[in-house]
Amino acid sequence: MTHQPRVLRLFARFVPGDLREPIAGDLHEEYLRIRQRRGTARAAIWLWWNAVQLALTFRWERAAHGRPLPPIADELRGFGSMWDGLRQDVVFGARMLRRQPAFTLVALMALTLGIGANTAIFSIVDAVLWRPLPYPSSSDVISLGEQRPRENRLHGPVAPADFYDWRRDNSTFSAMAAVEPAAVNISGGAEPERLRGVFVTPGFLDVVGSKPALGRDFTREEEIEGRHQVVILSDGFWRRRFGADPSVIGRKITLNEQPFDVVGVMPGSFWWPTTPDVLLAYITSGADASRAQHSMDVVGRLKPGVSFEQARADLDAIGKRLSEQYPQTNAAHFPHLSTLQATMVGDVKPALMVLLGAVGLVLLIACANVAMLLLARATSREREIAVRLAIGAGRGRLVRQLLTESVLLAVLGGAAGVLVAAWGLTAFRALLPSGLLVLPGIAQVGLDTRVLTVALAVSIGTGLVFGVIPSFAAADQRLAATLHQEGRSGSGGARTTRTRAVLVVAELALSLVLLVGAGLLLVSFRRVLDVSPGFESQNVIVASVMRSAPAPQALRFYETLLERVRTLPNVEAAALATPLPFVDVGGRTGFRIEGRTTQSPIPVRTRPRLVSADYFSTLRIPLVRGRVFTDRDAEGPPNVVIINSAAARRYWPDEDPLGRRIDISFAAQPRWMEIVGVVGDVKHAGLELDTDPEAFMPLRQPPFGGMAQRLNVVIRTRASASTIAPMVRSAVNEIDRNQPVGTVSTMEDLIAASVAPRRLNLWLVVAFAVIALVLTAAGLYGVMSYLVAQRTREIGVRMALGATRSSVLRLVLRQAGTMTVAGIGIGLVGALALTRFLATLLFGVTTKDPLVYFSVAALLAAVALLAAAIPSSRATRVDPMAALRS
Amino acid sequence: MAMTDVSILGEFEQVVLLAILRLGDDAYAVTIRDEILQCTGRDVSRGSIYITLDRLETKGYLKSRLADSTPERGGRAKRYYELRPRAIEALKEGRRTLVALWRGLESVLT
Repeated sequence: MTHQPRVLRLFARFVPGDLREPIAGDLHEEYLRIRQRRGTARAAIWLWWNAVQLALTFRWERAAHGRPLPPIADELRGFGSMWDGLRQDVVFGARMLRRQPAFTLVALMALTLGIGANTAIFSIVDAVLWRPLPYPSSSDVISLGEQRPRENRLHGPVAPADFYDWRRDNSTFSAMAAVEPAAVNISGGAEPERLRGVFVTPGFLDVVGSKPALGRDFTREEEIEGRHQVVILSDGFWRRRFGADPSVIGRKITLNEQPFDVVGVMPGSFWWPTTPDVLLAYITSGADASRAQHSMDVVGRLKPGVSFEQARADLDAIGKRLSEQYPQTNAAHFPHLSTLQATMVGDVKPALMVLLGAVGLVLLIACANVAMLLLARATSREREIAVRLAIGAGRGRLVRQLLTESVLLAVLGGAAGVLVAAWGLTAFRALLPSGLLVLPGIAQVGLDTRVLTVALAVSIGTGLVFGVIPSFAAADQRLAATLHQEGRSGSGGARTTRTRAVLVVAELALSLVLLVGAGLLLVSFRRVLDVSPGFESQNVIVASVMRSAPAPQALRFYETLLERVRTLPNVEAAALATPLPFVDVGGRTGFRIEGRTTQSPIPVRTRPRLVSADYFSTLRIPLVRGRVFTDRDAEGPPNVVIINSAAARRYWPDEDPLGRRIDISFAAQPRWMEIVGVVGDVKHAGLELDTDPEAFMPLRQPPFGGMAQRLNVVIRTRASASTIAPMVRSAVNEIDRNQPVGTVSTMEDLIAASVAPRRLNLWLVVAFAVIALVLTAAGLYGVMSYLVAQRTREIGVRMALGATRSSVLRLVLRQAGTMTVAGIGIGLVGALALTRFLATLLFGVTTKDPLVYFSVAALLAAVALLAAAIPSSRATRVDPMAALRS
Repeated sequence: MAMTDVSILGEFEQVVLLAILRLGDDAYAVTIRDEILQCTGRDVSRGSIYITLDRLETKGYLKSRLADSTPERGGRAKRYYELRPRAIEALKEGRRTLVALWRGLESVLT
């Protein structure tokens, strides 16, 4: 006996009764024949094809010839009438929504806010976290960094010499490249311009899976000094500066006063977070490269078929060998691998997930709100529903009708929500701090099909969620009871009253969770702003200037510029420095301390900074010990250095660092620098971050022989930035017309920019919390109004029997109070459980800060009281006579 | 009147009737279709076979009987077809008409 193909049973339903059996038999017979000859799969396809074809033929034949349609099976009749029924339901639902505009409007508003916020945040999260990077097989693109377990650092930059060894010795990467952002000046031809560049080693384009659209990639030889003067242009820069002229290949352009050959132009699809204008060959010094200076970002592409784990094991082995071979520099750090995408979005992921959670809560609250509105409306439709039940409507049919109405409502709300999301995303793009523009996908944030599909799914899901309780509650009523209540408004019954109370309590609890989250972020933000940067940031202006020239000329240029700037009106003091707080944090370098063995348990590392003599007085950084630099700290020994308090605490905890000597060159012949002063700690990368050990060196004693090409002019002024900026620009132009001045900004703005992502996140969460609060207040108001209306007769009786207004008020408020206390209680527990997801975003406040919890609970209680006050006072004005007569 | 009825027989109806006639008492949809394929090389659709059989039966050219369900048919019965005398008449009439019209055209059409 053979099995029965299911399609035949299905098919039989389409065919007239007298022919059904033999035709199905024929098909079965032929199916078996074909199966024997050509296999099951083909036979199955054949059977489906023919069964469907035959079914259609019969339907058409009988219909076309005016003969009665074949009797079809009951299931199919049910199927057809379900569609008819659905259409009926939708039409009827739409009519109901139109007939009660106030209800529809209020419900739609809640849904619009809920679905709109979710759509907007989803589109951001999706674009940034969930879309793959725009590279072929992008999950094979790996970011390689250094982990330093003892310093609690996971993914730091890499020393050049280590990079060469990784690249040479690995067997798991098809390409590996180092990347470092660079700023370069282009001069000659049109206006001098400051460009965003990126130094890359050959192989970088293989890693990101891209090729120049014109010309060629860098070759291996071009990473050697002397051969390196080649450049690849970005598509945007090529169009902007060269009018998309293909003959630019082979032409020489002047970058940093040096001639460079244009060897290639990238396609428009090429993307790198810093959106570089030019790619430059990374000049490296091969075997002489440093193992102490860590500055490279390294990326690699896995060979096909190689797993992440294999690559990690491969690099671990190399790292282990290097730490044995070079204990001085490599003992404390090891390679660390992560996907490039994870590295790029690492910092913002927690914030985005918190936002997603917050909008999820808003949507739940909106759902609860609409569910309560539907419950209230179902009560007013009790008689309609009772009549339908009485004349024979099935309960299932009724539930379906009511669910259709709520899904219809949700889809309408979803459509409006998408509009709100579109508007919100426009605002979001305008508010987006420039620091976040490097995020992958951020430029593509918008409403595409994927987002719209999710919005539609969320809408339908929402409709089912908020519709299901009221629908079942409505369809499940005692018929006779309702029908007998001639002319009296519906009672709703104890069960729906309880359902309402549960919904309000849930709303209150969810709101509390959201408010606690917003409160914690708000307090964190205040605490961050309260942190002193370690210097006086008011009235400080920063201009970044670049001068590429051999060291003596560059130094002369900067010193001339400094003199000019000092003579400008309203300038109190001026200095030169690189890197500057809130402009650039700078790399770290290892160093050695004279007379100490290098096998220290703590890695001895510092961030080197190059400053002019008046740097500390200009920024008003306090001197803790010793002296600051003077003009006597010029070329030649003795070399001097000033360290910050963090360095003093870490490396000389029990002794006076003054007079000690350190060396950061690691050359065979140490270049000792004597510590002459200790200054206060200054925040460099962000107010909330700890200050690393720093070492300041005089401008005239650059530690690596070379001179920093890019210096910042810091100016303490009595005037505004807008009046100083043009004067600085013209001062630069007077000295050298070929030098563009980069940005000129106030230190205050730079600090504000450093907290901008935190601020944006805070305001978004606060906005969602406010929406939640308003929805909850509206929900509570609705329920209290309903309860008061329901008890009008009871209150009338009480008042007729002598109850005072205040006792009635107490009676009603007690009900609101019970719900509020329950909601807040549950919310507090929920907040304690959920706020740990916020932990990484908080600063200076714990996730269980009692003050925040208390304030938020008090705020919510106050709002709840307000929401309950209006219906309660209505209760006290009940006219006993009118109530009794009703 | 037989004459008018016969003139209604379509070409495909004639093909089906002839196939049934050739098959004798083994004429059901599957064998009919195979027979047509074998004799004429025409791979006709199953749908048209069933529709035509149904129509011919309604018009009174065919009678059918249900018979022996076999395992290879999933336990379902076969419907065997058989020509009524009317169908024989109609076929003869059709042939006569064609032959009469063909006469004298051999040199043009072969």
